[in-house]
Amino acid sequence: MSPVKRADLEAVYARLSGPLFRGPIASARTVEELEAARVEALGRKSGLTELLKGLKDLSLDEKREFAPKVQALKAEFEALVEKRRAELEAAADEASLQSLDLDLSLPALAPARGRRHPLAQTLDEMAAIFGLMGYSWAEGPLVEDERHNFEALNIPEHHAARDLQDTFYLQDMPLLLRTHTSPVQIRTMESVRPPLRVICPGRVFRHEAVDATHSAVFHQVEGLAVDKGITFADLKGTLQTFLQRLFGPKTKTRFLPSYYPFTEPSADVYASCIFCSGSGCPICKRTGWIEIMGAGMVHPNVFKAVDYDPEVWSGFAFGIGVDRVAMLRLGVPDLRLFYENDLRFLKQFDESLL
Amino acid sequence: MKVSYSWLKEFLPLDLPAQDLAARLPELGFEVASVETRGPGFSGVVVGHVLAKEKHPNADRLSLCVVEVGSEKYSVVCGAPNVAAGQKVPLARVGAVLPGGFKIERSKIRGVESQGMICSRKELGLGEDADGIWVLDPAAETGGDVAASLGETGHVLELEITPNRPDCLSHLGLARELSAYFRMPLRPRPAAQIPAGSLSCLDVRVEAPGACPRYVGRSFEGLSIGASPGWLAAKLEAVGLRPINALVDITNYLLMDTGQPMHAFDADKLAGSIVVRFAKPGERIVALDEKEYALTERCLVIADQKGPVAIAGVMGGLHTGVTEKTKRAFLESAYFDPPAVRRASQALRLKSDSSHRFERGADPEAAWTASLRATELILKLCGRTAKSSEPLDRRAPAAAPAPIAVTSRRINDILGSAFDSGAVESALQSISAGFKKEGETLRFTAPSYRHDLATVWDLAEEVARLAGYDRIPYRVPAAVLRPSRSLPSQTIAGRARERLTALGFCEACNYDFISDRTAARARLRTPLLRVKNPLSEEYANLRPTLLVGLLGNARLNLNNGAESVRLFELGKSYVPAGAGATETAQVAGLLLGPMARHWTSPRGRRLGFYDAKGVVEELLAGIPGWEWAPFSGSPAAADPLFHPRASLRLRHAKGPLGSVGLLHPAAARAWDLEREEAALFELDCDLLAQLEGTRTRFVAFSVFPGSSRDLSFLVAASIRYSDVLAAVGAAGCAELRRTELVDKFTGQGVPTGRQSLTLRLHFGRADRTLKDAEVAAATERILAELKSRHGAALRS
Repeated sequence: MSPVKRADLEAVYARLSGPLFRGPIASARTVEELEAARVEALGRKSGLTELLKGLKDLSLDEKREFAPKVQALKAEFEALVEKRRAELEAAADEASLQSLDLDLSLPALAPARGRRHPLAQTLDEMAAIFGLMGYSWAEGPLVEDERHNFEALNIPEHHAARDLQDTFYLQDMPLLLRTHTSPVQIRTMESVRPPLRVICPGRVFRHEAVDATHSAVFHQVEGLAVDKGITFADLKGTLQTFLQRLFGPKTKTRFLPSYYPFTEPSADVYASCIFCSGSGCPICKRTGWIEIMGAGMVHPNVFKAVDYDPEVWSGFAFGIGVDRVAMLRLGVPDLRLFYENDLRFLKQFDESLL
Repeated sequence: MKVSYSWLKEFLPLDLPAQDLAARLPELGFEVASVETRGPGFSGVVVGHVLAKEKHPNADRLSLCVVEVGSEKYSVVCGAPNVAAGQKVPLARVGAVLPGGFKIERSKIRGVESQGMICSRKELGLGEDADGIWVLDPAAETGGDVAASLGETGHVLELEITPNRPDCLSHLGLARELSAYFRMPLRPRPAAQIPAGSLSCLDVRVEAPGACPRYVGRSFEGLSIGASPGWLAAKLEAVGLRPINALVDITNYLLMDTGQPMHAFDADKLAGSIVVRFAKPGERIVALDEKEYALTERCLVIADQKGPVAIAGVMGGLHTGVTEKTKRAFLESAYFDPPAVRRASQALRLKSDSSHRFERGADPEAAWTASLRATELILKLCGRTAKSSEPLDRRAPAAAPAPIAVTSRRINDILGSAFDSGAVESALQSISAGFKKEGETLRFTAPSYRHDLATVWDLAEEVARLAGYDRIPYRVPAAVLRPSRSLPSQTIAGRARERLTALGFCEACNYDFISDRTAARARLRTPLLRVKNPLSEEYANLRPTLLVGLLGNARLNLNNGAESVRLFELGKSYVPAGAGATETAQVAGLLLGPMARHWTSPRGRRLGFYDAKGVVEELLAGIPGWEWAPFSGSPAAADPLFHPRASLRLRHAKGPLGSVGLLHPAAARAWDLEREEAALFELDCDLLAQLEGTRTRFVAFSVFPGSSRDLSFLVAASIRYSDVLAAVGAAGCAELRRTELVDKFTGQGVPTGRQSLTLRLHFGRADRTLKDAEVAAATERILAELKSRHGAALRS
């Protein structure tokens, strides 16, 4: 091993550890200048790399003594580069931050998003509650025959009960526009044996002059449960559960006698007013109650019409008006707004994430 | 039905305020539409001071009184024995109006002028049984208005009576119901006191006993029919009826009192005996409403020997009706079969208080009792010489109603309640005397007026009603949990809603009706389903397509200032099919206007055909087996709305799925949408529901990067993009993953008759990276194919 070699290396080391490289690194003004300085100091062709290569020619003892110094110098250079790089990047970021001047108050670029119709929203919400209670969907035609819309529902021809439902008939054919969703009960029972639980949501028609609270077209959610041992108490419990889901857990219900030809006993179902919680306001006409549903135990004649034995099976049926509930909940004062399809109306009924 | 509370109290000792009664009635199933207070049924009656009483110069039983009101003195003839000097009395001066619209006028009584009338309570409609004039409180101030001092004298409740309860369409009926509810004894009217008949009754033959199971008749003579007394007139007015004459008023009063409709004929205008039969073809009648009705064989009539004189249970004839000149009368009180009356009422489109009750079911027993009461009142109020015949009662034999056997347990099983047997029995007993107990079994026979009680379910309702629905517990049914099912149609509707709203569409909801005018504007050529009884001509037909509604909505929104419209609707379309109707679930959409105007791109693109096409492709994503087809072939109902050269059909092996395209210019003109480039689509959801969607499965993608090349070339403008794609496909490059159209233009720099297209060709392999040379060779092959097929020229 030549001592000259050792001396050469010492000389190189001395040269390198001076300001020769430290200066350019510390004073680099751009990332590019810094990179050039880094290559000068630490690159493959740099003195330091040669110095590191030259170490292998030293004796073991010399290596032990000299190598750590060289390594330390390399680490120092690297640290210097990183420090300067961080300074330069911070300065660049700062400049970039300062240079951008967005008017953040300008309008957003909103993606186009439509809205489901408020009636569809309301109907779906009701149907979903019954779905969770084990009710399946059923549907039937809107153009119905007399048997399904009336006769099988214990509304014979030439019976005054037909006055309850003013009907649109089709010309030149024995068909009508269904006046309620109840014919779907009949169609379901004709095709399925009990026990069963179905809801029949859909559109119905009444021959009524159209005004703020009457529509010739509206929507109902009908329900039917048939099983052994179903009682009026089950009807009360089911509808209370439903109405508390729909209007809130504090909702109270009230059942009053009524008349529907296809149920016996029949009831009108009232919910405590959702606006005044029952204390009385103009919406509930100061009664604290809002009539919300019709319901009752399936009439034995209805069971007979579909060949169910009324001594074995019992059941309840109910119907709720979707349009009316939507009016109440959304504060819509005029039923006709639902059918005008003014975008200024339709766009109001957004469904929030909550 | 209007119910006078004071009238009701004649049957029941009710002492709760009218408002409280109104609050209780819904518990029985009677909705109360209103509670109104009424003042007395007279006006212009003032407090007078009787200064002197002298005997009438020409009549023993009359007196001549001087009555002072303020500074005025009136000379009044009075017939009441109890009038005396010093009394304060109600004086009806000239101009005062008494119940029944009876106006006081200057008159001469037995040659002496009377300047008014001193009134009894009865004459003022305040009571039925007061004798003599009403002597007021001596402290009453002279000249004070008597009506005002009485204030509100009565309450009138407007009730909604459901069709199953015709028995409650009278004061007696409602009182009966309340008697059961309050367990309060009913005060029946005293039995009618009628002298034995001295005439023979007009004969009646019932030829249709099924339609007229009971007919009670009675003849009257020697009548003198004037205005009703005040008490009667006041009663009728309280419940909204107009007094006519004493005899008609008696029948109306008893209608409201007992619920039994009766009709009185002028016997002198009847030709021979009475027949109850169905009308013969061609028969006509002018009814009391002065309209002529052509009768059909469905109409039950009361006829004399010349023809119909009344539409049974609906309305009497004008020419045989009772007037103030009537001297002889025939009174009918019958029980008609409900469907018979309803058929006639419907056929003639004629409703009356009478038909309202008969078609719901009257009381066969009341036909008899009401006739007795009418007779008593006629003899009392229709002249001193009035005489009656013995009654005639034509009654078809009827089987006694079978009792309903029921137990308390059965009732509780229906209701889910825990009423003890005593409560059940007492409830049932309170509504019918026909009640027997045999061990556990209760045998219940419905009263003649309750047609709604035939089964144990009916009795369960009675028990629940009388006990209160509130006493039935709330219970959630225990049931085997079966997961609920939804229908394919519902899934489609729900997902279509999700996708279309995500694509910026709002959901519309239109009526299913269209007018003839709208159908003509849309130039719809297929026949429409017509509504027999439309509300107006706007509702004359059922829509064969949802698009007509959306076009109207678009117009409305543009009128209201909207710039772009994106609407969809889920609903039914209807077309005739043989003797019936076919209804089809559809989803339809309409879009027009600028895409999304924004300050970053103020000249935004307008929505058009390709947007509609894209929406349909999005809707049908994941459904295989359909393809675009030209707009020809089997026509659809909505076709006239589509531009035939700018529309496509969706073809599927199972049938036509729908159409997409631009609005036909004629329809655009009809809806004033010419300046918009409206695009439409309509898809058959029922057919969609029959198709199978693909179940999504993962497909591995290449880990090796792909390459893409842009190819810009000129071809003839007449070349369709589908031709270009076909040529690309024909080049047979296995490595071609996807072809994208990135640019298409004509105009500057492009020769006339040519178009410039730029395709971006995406290449790739699953097993390795493609070499540049391979990509270049494939691109060359594609270009060669485009050149040879379509004469494409590469652009530099």
